Amino acid sequence: MSGMLDNGARLTIDDGHEAVVTGMLGAGGQGEVYRVSTDQGEKALKWYYPACATAEQRKIVEELVGRDFDDDRFLWPHAFVTGRGDGFGYLMDVRPDRFKGLPALFRRRLRTTPQALVTAGLHMVEAYQALHSRGIAYRDISWGNIFFDPATGDVLVCDNDNAVVEGEASGITGTMEFMAPELVRGDVGAIPGTQTDLHSLSVLLFMLLMNHHPLKGRAELAIRCLDEAAERKLYGKSPLFIFDPDDSRNAPDPTEQGTVLATWATAPPALRKLFIQNFTEGLRDASRRVRESQWRDALSEVRDTIVVCASCGRQNMTEPRSATARACWSCGRTLLLPPRLVITTPPPRTERHVRLGHAARLHAHHVRAEPPRHDYTDATLVAELVEHPKKPGKFGLANRSDAAWTARRSDGTSQTVAPGQTLPLRSGLAVNLAGAEAVVRAD
Amino acid sequence: MSVPHWEILGDSVQGPAKVRNQDWYETDAPADDVLVLAVADGHGSAAYTRSHLGARFAVDVFMRCGRAFAERARAPEDLRRLRHAAGHWLPREIVRDWQEEVRRHLRDHPLGDGSDDAAAFSPYGTTLLGAVLVPGLFAAWQLGDGDLMVVEADGSVGAPLAPAEPELGDETESLCAPRAWELMRVHWAPVADPDRMPRCVSLSTDGLSKSFAAQEGFIQFVRELNERLDTVGADGIREALPGWLAHAGTYSGDDTTAVAAWRRPAGSEDDSGDPRERLRRDPAHPQAVPPENTHPQDAPHPHETEN
Repeated sequence: MSGMLDNGARLTIDDGHEAVVTGMLGAGGQGEVYRVSTDQGEKALKWYYPACATAEQRKIVEELVGRDFDDDRFLWPHAFVTGRGDGFGYLMDVRPDRFKGLPALFRRRLRTTPQALVTAGLHMVEAYQALHSRGIAYRDISWGNIFFDPATGDVLVCDNDNAVVEGEASGITGTMEFMAPELVRGDVGAIPGTQTDLHSLSVLLFMLLMNHHPLKGRAELAIRCLDEAAERKLYGKSPLFIFDPDDSRNAPDPTEQGTVLATWATAPPALRKLFIQNFTEGLRDASRRVRESQWRDALSEVRDTIVVCASCGRQNMTEPRSATARACWSCGRTLLLPPRLVITTPPPRTERHVRLGHAARLHAHHVRAEPPRHDYTDATLVAELVEHPKKPGKFGLANRSDAAWTARRSDGTSQTVAPGQTLPLRSGLAVNLAGAEAVVRAD
Repeated sequence: MSVPHWEILGDSVQGPAKVRNQDWYETDAPADDVLVLAVADGHGSAAYTRSHLGARFAVDVFMRCGRAFAERARAPEDLRRLRHAAGHWLPREIVRDWQEEVRRHLRDHPLGDGSDDAAAFSPYGTTLLGAVLVPGLFAAWQLGDGDLMVVEADGSVGAPLAPAEPELGDETESLCAPRAWELMRVHWAPVADPDRMPRCVSLSTDGLSKSFAAQEGFIQFVRELNERLDTVGADGIREALPGWLAHAGTYSGDDTTAVAAWRRPAGSEDDSGDPRERLRRDPAHPQAVPPENTHPQDAPHPHETEN
């Protein structure tokens, strides 16, 4: 193989054990990734090209390994590895096959759903938020280093070896199309950090949900030869959002960029508003960029109010707090909005709106004001909508938690719902779910 | 063609039932140790009336862009930037330039059916497969079908641009598709150690691989091609290549085109010179088989290697 390491090559892990190369997984701009066998099982090894195996990079990797960061959303460097010469690298877990790269999504090689995409966006936001809350800036957010499960929306952030402690220097300034304008321009005093990560994150979210870059409109099509100077203009000197409400000079071309016109039309106003803020005011003023918590709340709400079209079965994003039904993006029929469950968490009181569509599920994060993360697995299931086994068309809320609920009917009577029991659904029904008050509303 | 460390072969044969050959190819060695190779396969169905031209334009454009990229890659540059150029700039430039070539042709030869600008690209629809090899880097680009096969330094054979997943639906990837640059697959392989450069790289239109009942047969063909090149040298294979491609075409029914770059084994006598020198120096050498004896039946024949 053309890679730097042969199959069978033996390397030394910092704990003194050995890693044996068993195959090559890929090549990047800084190094190659190999599959290796260790006494801890199969791992992935990133091995730097000689030109990139600098003392500075070594320091960064050693620092990242020393952090012992344990988060299942990241393929974090967890052991330093050396060879015979000056080469070095690090071990990380192998990326499971279910995680796919975003380029495959853009090339229409993945089947996924709006729900999975919104979930992936939410998980991305929370993953970077977790990093930022530890004082670490990723600095290299781009579509090349995030992977997602098209079925569930679970995400995995890779290539974490350019993340550094906020304020520290790193040779990486990111990929230009994801870089904040001030970095692209090279403004005096502009350094990559969590503030510039916010711009990159918004670009990533836009690309994930809209299948297009937010700044690539007519201006990009007019570029004869896309090169460094052209990118610098597009992303740094004259960035202009393709849906800037006050400036249509960079609006999408309906022929060549029709996809983004269609995806934008399906996005609920709650998301559009944040994208507009980030890519208009936020382009000029970093302090106006949308924060992770804003993205998290908006994406969480949008996910909770995705509605399946009764006519064609396609998922539609809806405006979370609106009772007005829009037309299905696929078949054009007006959507039938299912009842809404309005949950008010214990203090600090937060209101959540969940559409009780087919197989709707409530998880632990729904009943908490400030959940550390959104987890949609069975492990956190609190309640789910189920159909009556003998009365088709009659639905109830099944208690999947390990605590009893107290329900209050509109006539004032109350009822205890033990774990495993189901509460018949009707408008006006109120129920206390693990301290959170939930009310069923018909709109 | 012969350059200090590489031999280049290439040919194209019209499919038996075809009115014209809709494939095109070109090879170039603009400098020592720099190779630029490309093949294109114009779409075959009736709607693609000018796909033979589209294929030719695609190859011409790639050769131009590939040479410029090779020049850039030979200069010292941050590898990440170069990778970005390979992954983003070059695909876009290729598609843009191809569209420009098509527009230019349309101006002189209008379709006359009132097609709008975007639809006008369709008659020229084609695939494209191109590669650039420079010291320290092997990169390739593919849009649509076709096969990039690589015999690595350790003898293993790979198809690095083979799609990871089968295409969904019936959409064909083509240079005439909207935003076609986003459909381009890129192989990126920096080579830190010169001895680890691939031994053989072949680019072929799908007429060749489709002539095999299974992918294993095609892989075996590539493996044996490299072995034959090692033993016989490039001239004998060059002579036999049209016959193999024609034979493959009788099975696939398609136009069949292949180019290959073969690196003479390190340390061989003629490593830095013309391989034909060895034939002249040592006519009795068993490897110096005259081209006429390199009969297709003796060679790594497409259909005799699959079983």
